[in-house]
Amino acid sequence: MSTGMIFDIIEFAVHDGPGIRKTVFFKGCPLRCNWCHNPESQSFEKEVMVIKGRRSDCGMKYEATALAEELLKGKEILEKSRGGITISGGEPLAQPAFLLELIEALKPVHIALDTSGYAPNRIFKSVTEGVDLVLFDIKHTDPVVHKRVTGVDNRLILENLEYLCSTDKEFYVRIPLIPGINDTMKNMEKIAELIKGARGLTKVDILPYHKTAGAKYPMIGKKYKPLFDIDRSPKVYLEPFKKYNIRSEVM
Amino acid sequence: MTKRIEAMLDDILNKRHHKYRQHIDSAVFTQFTRELFLKGLSDTERSVKRLAFVLELEKPVVFPEEKIAFMRTVPKIPEIFTDKEWSDIKAKHFIHEQGKVCNISPNYGRTIKLGLDARREEVIQYLETAEDGEVRQFYRSVLDTIDIVLSFVDRYAQEARRVGNTEVAEILNRVPRYGAVTFNEALQSFRVLHYILWASFNYHNTIGRFDQYMFPYLKADLDSGHLNYDQAFELLEEFFLTFNRDSDLYPGIQQGDNGQSMVLGGVDSEGKDASNILTEMCLKASLEMNLIDPKINLRVNKDTGQEMFELGTRLTKQGLGFPQYSNDDIVIPGLVEKGYSLEDARNYVVAACWEFIIPGVGMDIPNIGALAYADIVDKTLRYALEESKSFDGFMDRVKDEIFSWADIETNKFGNIYMEPSPMMSLLMDGCISSGKDISHGSRYNNYGLHGTGISTAADSLAAIKRYIFEEKLLTAEELIKAIDANYVGYEDILQKLKYEAPKMGNDDDYVDDIAKELMETFAKALVGKTNERGGCYRAGTGSAMFYVWHAKDLGATPDGRRKGEFLSANYAPSLNAKTKGPVSIIRSFAKPDLIKTINGGPLTLEIHDTVFKGEDSISKVATFVKHFMDMGGHQLQINSVNRDKLLDAQKNPDMYKNLIVRVWGWSGYFVELDKEYQDHIIQRVELSI
Ligand code: SF4
Repeated sequence: MSTGMIFDIIEFAVHDGPGIRKTVFFKGCPLRCNWCHNPESQSFEKEVMVIKGRRSDCGMKYEATALAEELLKGKEILEKSRGGITISGGEPLAQPAFLLELIEALKPVHIALDTSGYAPNRIFKSVTEGVDLVLFDIKHTDPVVHKRVTGVDNRLILENLEYLCSTDKEFYVRIPLIPGINDTMKNMEKIAELIKGARGLTKVDILPYHKTAGAKYPMIGKKYKPLFDIDRSPKVYLEPFKKYNIRSEVM
Repeated sequence: MTKRIEAMLDDILNKRHHKYRQHIDSAVFTQFTRELFLKGLSDTERSVKRLAFVLELEKPVVFPEEKIAFMRTVPKIPEIFTDKEWSDIKAKHFIHEQGKVCNISPNYGRTIKLGLDARREEVIQYLETAEDGEVRQFYRSVLDTIDIVLSFVDRYAQEARRVGNTEVAEILNRVPRYGAVTFNEALQSFRVLHYILWASFNYHNTIGRFDQYMFPYLKADLDSGHLNYDQAFELLEEFFLTFNRDSDLYPGIQQGDNGQSMVLGGVDSEGKDASNILTEMCLKASLEMNLIDPKINLRVNKDTGQEMFELGTRLTKQGLGFPQYSNDDIVIPGLVEKGYSLEDARNYVVAACWEFIIPGVGMDIPNIGALAYADIVDKTLRYALEESKSFDGFMDRVKDEIFSWADIETNKFGNIYMEPSPMMSLLMDGCISSGKDISHGSRYNNYGLHGTGISTAADSLAAIKRYIFEEKLLTAEELIKAIDANYVGYEDILQKLKYEAPKMGNDDDYVDDIAKELMETFAKALVGKTNERGGCYRAGTGSAMFYVWHAKDLGATPDGRRKGEFLSANYAPSLNAKTKGPVSIIRSFAKPDLIKTINGGPLTLEIHDTVFKGEDSISKVATFVKHFMDMGGHQLQINSVNRDKLLDAQKNPDMYKNLIVRVWGWSGYFVELDKEYQDHIIQRVELSI
């Protein structure tokens, strides 16, 4: 029986896959995206958050079966709306044993995995086999820029994406659109190139940067240091996706 | 929306029609009241005279391009009693609100169909055989009222002809004198009757099951080709606009609280789903008009299709705070249990806000009083907490207190007096046959009591159970000291109570069961109690303005709420409680047996407007609404909100003149609300999901 760390559960998530979903957020992430709007999702340890002068613990330790039980409470509405559970983070793949156990315990409810794709191929493969839908985040195709803005190289991510494209597993691509960082025609074209023709691809969700992203940093005693102009709206290019008949939506 | 409607809407939004309002010195009204007194007229005679006086003062205004006329120009309706007379009456009688017939649902359909000429004949027939002096006077007052109305309608017809609007002139020559034949006539006839009710100083004049009584006219026109769908829709939109012309002149506690509720959908007298094409057209018209009136209520049941919920959700997304949904499968059996016939129960509508009443035959006063659950808890803990050996023992004392409260409360409403209303009597079934003014009652004369602050009370009791009886963290004495000190110096305790204690709305039986017990007790305490009119008492889940009033008197509470902090409006989690989310909320709030507390009062939810983004989120929210009903929910109202917008609106009211929010049972313009209501809404929104 393995235990894992999460930091939040959101009921009635309507933008994390089909139907009404409950989304659970795993705590801990190997990336350090410069724009991350959930800074408390990065550390694998419990943290103290101060909200309006009130201290509270951020991070809950759970056994996989207990977490599954909590998530499945009130599951009728998830089923009725053809929704399910979305596992997000942080990076769920960074707690693989716990994640796999959780997935088994949740079945047969529809399960979506929201991931940065940053994990060893072996882990990525075994987890995606167990879920119904993958929400695959792509930040940047250029390894140098990727390293600069997320702290890690994108080789693993691109390998896992390539693998995913070769399977029948249903997936959405999600692109956080950051002004001046990845909102270029070239980046979109490259992403489209990578995913064109993938059998399981349903759509591309574009998630434009939101100004409130920095709000939580002071709550956990961190400083928000964006490398870009937060007041500028990111540029949206959908043409490259249209070119390959890929459905795209700006969220 | 057609150009014609667009222009009319623009006039209303910019209040251009206000320029027709007359400036009448208030002395004119006081002088009128004084004369009534000097002439020594009866209250019934005075009511007739008042209507005649108001309509004489009125100046008909007809716009060349309109198809449905009638607009108020007299800003005020005079009283029929002098101040001195009124205080004498008040000394002897129980007076509900302003002492007028209000908050009921007339049977417009019958008079629209038959016409006032036929109704006059009916009254004359009864007058022929009536012997009792008072009854004869009642009939004469109704006949006089009909004559006053018809001659006023004639003046309007003349004005229509004068401005060249022959269409309206011709329609007014036919209705409401004769039964309506076309959809346009039926709408015009309604408009006149409704207008006259307001001019008679009746208020909260609800609209009722519009899609039922208007449907035959629409259908006839569509079938015969007299109108096509688009033309009918345009008429309907114009009709919707008429509700917004005079509404600022209607009495109410806040701007917007005018009771113009329209009820759509629901079952017929046989229990079959009765929604029709007009149901859908009304939802669409409301969506396009984006105005606070009429206030849309949607009756649903297990057979209601997903499309209807989706249409409703589109309206919710717009941010008007309606539709308000009610569940036939719970409301109807609940009313039957309270003694309503099955057929009448199936015909239910909502009163001004959300109380369930029966059109045509209900003279219920569904908002006569309120049980403040949190007050009961506060009162009981002061004398019984210390000596209680177990939580169950304490809970029994709380229940006893609810029973004693019910004994006292139901004795408060003796010798009630209401001004007579011949006009309303004409529109209510049975008044003419019985020769009795509606102010004396109807088939149903039940009184309804709201139940406010259920979540605050349940949370308080859950905190007491956990920290006093189970964990023994606190003694009764310490708790009382802490709340009396408003938690000053007791911050650690406050933290525990406020943030760590179980809260209703988290699908946690620990606290939800307490709420369930409290509500059951409330209902039980009223069983067998009758009022002087032979009616029963109904327990409810609403709050109306009591959530602000009670909160002011109530000290700090054991759930960690400090003195002066608001209670939640209606049936909702405490503003103090951070819940897990809307799914847990509806699960918690569907647990009590709501059939037993069916006076009305919706579960009120704030959902952040971002949830509505994207096409498929409409179907998701619609499924969510249906789910609450499937679980046994009775009534639901969802607000789509955005906190930043509201804060900005407080700062820059001029830029948000048309920002509409739901207040308690009605929607109003945010910037026109008093600050305390604005603050309450903002606080509610902070908890939105
Ligand atoms: S991958 Fe997601 S959670 Fe991790 S740092 Fe980036 S934005 Fe934050």
